[in-house]
Amino acid sequence: MRRLSKAFALALAGLTLGGGSALAADVTEGRSIAGAKCRVCHGADGVAAIPVAPHIGGEPAAYLAAQIRAFRSGEREHEMMNVVAKELSDDAIDAVTLYYAALEPKAVQAFAKPGAAAPEDCSGCHGENGISVVEDAPNLAGENEIYIMTQIKAFRTGQRSHEVMTEIAETYTDAELYPAAAWYASFRYSTAAPK
Amino acid sequence: MRFTSALAATALLASSGAALADNLEKLSNFQQTGVTDFTYVEQDGPYADGVRAILDNIEMPPGFEIELYAIVPDARHMAVGPQGLVTFVGTRKTKVWAVTDRNKDRVADEVKDFAPSLQMAIPNGPCFSPDGFLYIAEQNRVLVFPAAEFFYESPDVAAFNVAAQGTLIPVEEESYNHTARVCDIGPDDKIYISLGQPFNVAPPEKMDLYKETGIGGIVRMNRDGSGKEVFAYGVRNSVGQDFHPVTGELWWTDNQVDGMGDDIPPGELNVSTEAGQHFGHPWYGGGQVRTAEYKGDTPPEGIVHPAVETVAHAADLGMMFYTGDMFPTKYKNAIFSAQHGSWNRTEAIGARVMVTFIDEEGNATMEPFAEGWNQNGEYLGRPVDVAQLKDGSILVSDDQAGAIYRISYAAAE
Repeated sequence: MRRLSKAFALALAGLTLGGGSALAADVTEGRSIAGAKCRVCHGADGVAAIPVAPHIGGEPAAYLAAQIRAFRSGEREHEMMNVVAKELSDDAIDAVTLYYAALEPKAVQAFAKPGAAAPEDCSGCHGENGISVVEDAPNLAGENEIYIMTQIKAFRTGQRSHEVMTEIAETYTDAELYPAAAWYASFRYSTAAPK
Repeated sequence: MRFTSALAATALLASSGAALADNLEKLSNFQQTGVTDFTYVEQDGPYADGVRAILDNIEMPPGFEIELYAIVPDARHMAVGPQGLVTFVGTRKTKVWAVTDRNKDRVADEVKDFAPSLQMAIPNGPCFSPDGFLYIAEQNRVLVFPAAEFFYESPDVAAFNVAAQGTLIPVEEESYNHTARVCDIGPDDKIYISLGQPFNVAPPEKMDLYKETGIGGIVRMNRDGSGKEVFAYGVRNSVGQDFHPVTGELWWTDNQVDGMGDDIPPGELNVSTEAGQHFGHPWYGGGQVRTAEYKGDTPPEGIVHPAVETVAHAADLGMMFYTGDMFPTKYKNAIFSAQHGSWNRTEAIGARVMVTFIDEEGNATMEPFAEGWNQNGEYLGRPVDVAQLKDGSILVSDDQAGAIYRISYAAAE
């Protein structure tokens, strides 16, 4: 068996934790699902083609799978994702998240703003460069300000719920959080096939 | 690299929401904000070459030609200045781009951000009044920039609220999807603004609020923001509109319900013949197709069905009536519109420019005009909006490629 990349290993770990069958899930199958169901918005390489959709390539499988399941159950609402997720079986979710999670994410700061620094309260989970360092946090690199602020608002109003993010959204104002969103928005995001 | 210049002063301002709110106040008082730097978009190089190569795939009727006009990141709806010098281009992010063709060779020379001192949110919809006032409809604000075509060369431009932040819709109703607004100034000198509703099918508990606020509709107001009223009801998510140059009636596109199958419901091109009409959402998912959610309900009386049922899920977006003299006469007063392309159809459809002819009885028929961005389901570009230049050529924006194309016509010798 070929050597597993870090992202690939994380993906497998995520699947095991999620109760899915790692053996049944297959990257080829996942790529095919991505091509049919996800590509137009999220990109075949997981780099989103529209600003409303987040980049999902190279994100932790556990995070991705949890979000798709939440969309499928209706716990998390989005008019497009609820429609898409409803069509996905557990095996399909495992496969497609395995495929996307196995991609290697890369973030390059495209325009540095003088005086701006990585937001301390965010970097512990989302990374200074917006590449997640924990299993249940998404990458933020290259997400635009409106996307990030929309999620903040969703945590504040209870449309999304997370023990850390809900508290952050309730503690800080939009004006205080906007510079953090702008920091992550200043990165350009890309992915590469796993080594 | 698509961005060239750095941002200096803007960064400091971005660190404080209060300072940004103050900037609008300063601009409203003709004061300087201290923001001096623009972001410029590189127009040459390998990226532009790649986009030009895509255009070799585009097929149109004989005599028409398509060329790259400008590289404009996230290009959405467009407003061509009355003087024809600058075209303002909205985005679904935070910038509006000013696209200038100074030497009039019909290719943009310069693309830079407009009013960089202002923090904007989803400034998708710019529109001009005939007397040169630029309006920008954002997610939850409408601004006006008097004589924008003359002042935009400076980072500080006079700017005023038409609908102040948080007053276009209730703040708690804000969403990211279905909030790309478009605007137009009507023959009655009012500003008409589309307000998409954020759901696939609007739920019953929102209906009273939506009826009152015009969400899932089109609202109009005086150009100073007074006299706001709901103009059209029962709209799902309209992202394109224009007034018929002869009848003065508002025609508009609407995106219809997903998840009912590949071939239903149809998309819509509608015409409002008077204020207060109801266009069927959420009882109808598009055309005459009833939604599963409201199947057993009796729809309101007098629902107006579309003038054209368009192909399902193609995502009809920006549109305009052609009034130029460059194209053959059959295109006079025809509608050019953009199909963004389906996102969830087994076989992708759309990503093209359509033309709609309206006969003397008012019957409308739509057909493809420019195609080729959809290559077996892979989008090489996704057209969003169509606008007309002074010379009668048309511009097409593309938010996937981040580009604007120009389509011109020359009769065969």
